[in-house]
Amino acid sequence: MKHRKKAGASVVAVTTAALLLASCSSGGGGTSSAGDGTGDVEVWAHQGKDTEVAALQDAVANFNASQSDINVKLTLVPEADYTTTIQSTSADDLPDVLELDGPTLASFVYDAKVAPIDSYVSQETIDNATVGNVNQGTLDGTLYALAQFNSGLGLCANGEMLDAAGVSYPDSIDSAWSADEFLSALETLAAENDSGYALDIKENYGLGGEWGTYAFSPLLQSAGGNLIADNKASGVIDGPESVAAMEAFQSWMPYVDPDEDDAALVEGRVAISWCGHWLYPGYSEALGDDLVILPLPDMGDGTKSGAGSWTWGMGSTTKQGAAAGAFLDYLLNDENVKAMTTANGAPPATESALAADTLYSSGGPLELWGQQLGAGCNADSITDDCVTVLRPLTAGYPVITSEFASALAAIATGDDVQSALTGAATAIDQSFADNNDYE
Amino acid sequence: MSNPTAESPRRRSLRWNRRELPGVAMATPGIIGLLVFVAIPFLVAIFLSFHNAQLNSPRAPNYIGITQYTRLFADAQFWRALGNNLTFAAVVIPVQTAIALGLAMLVNQRLRGISVFRALFFLPVIFPMALVAVIWRLILARSEGGLLNSLVHFVTFGQVGPQDWLGNSATALPSIILLSIWQGVGFQMIILLAGLQEIPQERYEAAQLDRANRWQQFLYVTLPGIRNTLIFVVLLTSILAFRVYDQVYILITSGGANRTATQTVLYQATTSVFDQNNLGRASAITVVFFAIVLGITVIQRRLVRQESEA
Repeated sequence: MKHRKKAGASVVAVTTAALLLASCSSGGGGTSSAGDGTGDVEVWAHQGKDTEVAALQDAVANFNASQSDINVKLTLVPEADYTTTIQSTSADDLPDVLELDGPTLASFVYDAKVAPIDSYVSQETIDNATVGNVNQGTLDGTLYALAQFNSGLGLCANGEMLDAAGVSYPDSIDSAWSADEFLSALETLAAENDSGYALDIKENYGLGGEWGTYAFSPLLQSAGGNLIADNKASGVIDGPESVAAMEAFQSWMPYVDPDEDDAALVEGRVAISWCGHWLYPGYSEALGDDLVILPLPDMGDGTKSGAGSWTWGMGSTTKQGAAAGAFLDYLLNDENVKAMTTANGAPPATESALAADTLYSSGGPLELWGQQLGAGCNADSITDDCVTVLRPLTAGYPVITSEFASALAAIATGDDVQSALTGAATAIDQSFADNNDYE
Repeated sequence: MSNPTAESPRRRSLRWNRRELPGVAMATPGIIGLLVFVAIPFLVAIFLSFHNAQLNSPRAPNYIGITQYTRLFADAQFWRALGNNLTFAAVVIPVQTAIALGLAMLVNQRLRGISVFRALFFLPVIFPMALVAVIWRLILARSEGGLLNSLVHFVTFGQVGPQDWLGNSATALPSIILLSIWQGVGFQMIILLAGLQEIPQERYEAAQLDRANRWQQFLYVTLPGIRNTLIFVVLLTSILAFRVYDQVYILITSGGANRTATQTVLYQATTSVFDQNNLGRASAITVVFFAIVLGITVIQRRLVRQESEA
């Protein structure tokens, strides 16, 4: 007879569940307004390196001191949890201004968590943003985000070790190593080094996370493959070109230092490091003139590299659009962009700051990466000339990156390339089919 | 409902007399807690598992029937994760319980400074699993400088080169099992130690008078004496073993652990919902997993019943 009572309880529970769901889904809807341009502005940002945090905190303090109408309140969230935090916060609870990782923007637009910013930031600021910056922040012709900086990706190498091993290396985008040349360079260098290793791919970041997709999906595109094309992953991410690229990647693994201490290149255990711009300041200090900056290997269709980084948007329910826009204008001025890029070594994402930059401009040590960023494109329109490819601008990106990076990590530990990539393709296609292609 | 035997208890249960009221009142907070935090979320999970629900999306979940389940059962990765879970449990439950019992008997002696040993064996339990995973990441590192590789190199006089303990599919899961036992065994040891100390000393004296040797004493005095404690420990270890997640997540995402060989069902569920926003799939995984764990627990309870205290 207990059964009847249980049945009663479950009716109550299901009703409660339905109510909970209903209340969950009523949030959001994109109702930002300009406000009167005064008062408090809530800002969320990821807690990056100490120097980056200091640059941001200084910018906020200086902005608050520079005028008396607007008071910016900054909240820092640890980097590892940042995107999850935004994902699991309902639109109503998001702050006025929030930092976003570039490729996640589309999914936040889809979930109605961010507002268009073109009516709140000044036209001057928008005009001054680099093409890549605007591309990253634009969806269906609407601007949702603008960044202070872009990102640079390539190889950082110890030129002295390469010379000592008799390995010749490329000095321009066009002369990038082919896959075979790269493999034989690794073989030679590993044989010369007591550690037995030749390459550092920052395995300590976790290949299964965003680093995996950012750093290694360019290999697919360089081979003529891609992550996704026309909302379809099957035959693309697991097509013969992509499989060939990942098989080459797998063949490098015996020469890869696990790099638990984040110091493989600096300590001389390897001669080459798969390298993001944020590593440049430390490498440059440790290696001095021996540090050489190279393009990633060319898998057949010309070298390709990653682009895009943290960018700034506004919460979809902000009532402080005007004040938030004024803060973003301030954040994107030359002084603050320079302070941030000095702190993290990134390429500036505004035209005026880029022109004044000494690292990435002609003659600077990172000139090559500056040239790479000059030849940028979106992932759905890759041309022969394009070098830096933005990660796909689709709301399905979280699934794409999770599946590709997981497959990459499995491939690194020896799993069959074709089956790992086909598994990823199936899961991505299911997700797109379920969600009406995230239109 | 005309069965007369069913009528009488029902009528009795409806008429709450004064003696039952305090009991009901005292049980209410616990029952509300169970309903709010266990029963309702589980029913929501069942509901969501029949839908395509995206995490915190403004769109309402749409009904897709048993699609999530058919996909799950067709997914080799899911079966692999379940297999990993079962392998983990099948090794950890007997081995960890046996080691815990051995340690408990070791530290159940009247020696000077024995509490120091008890504290030492218990120490890993108070470390958070995240910390343990990070430490073991260094021990199991695949470079020559990895602690375990250095030890193997030293012991074998350099005959055995560095191994990729976490990356190699053959050693990845055993490595996780090893560190999990190291972290968890102290807890079971303390519970078993309490059980051992409950056994009256007279029983051992009587056994000695009967000329029982050490092994016979263990078999006929110690084991029956801690039977209930042992059953409790096995149940607890089983539940903890199926719940394995922290170390797997940390070592896969940042320790280069072989994902295929070490992923567990909970890892798949959290990846689905937090990395891919796929709440429906995650719900289906938890529902299936709940059914499996429930089934195993029920069978376990059937096989070994605790003796009620006299």
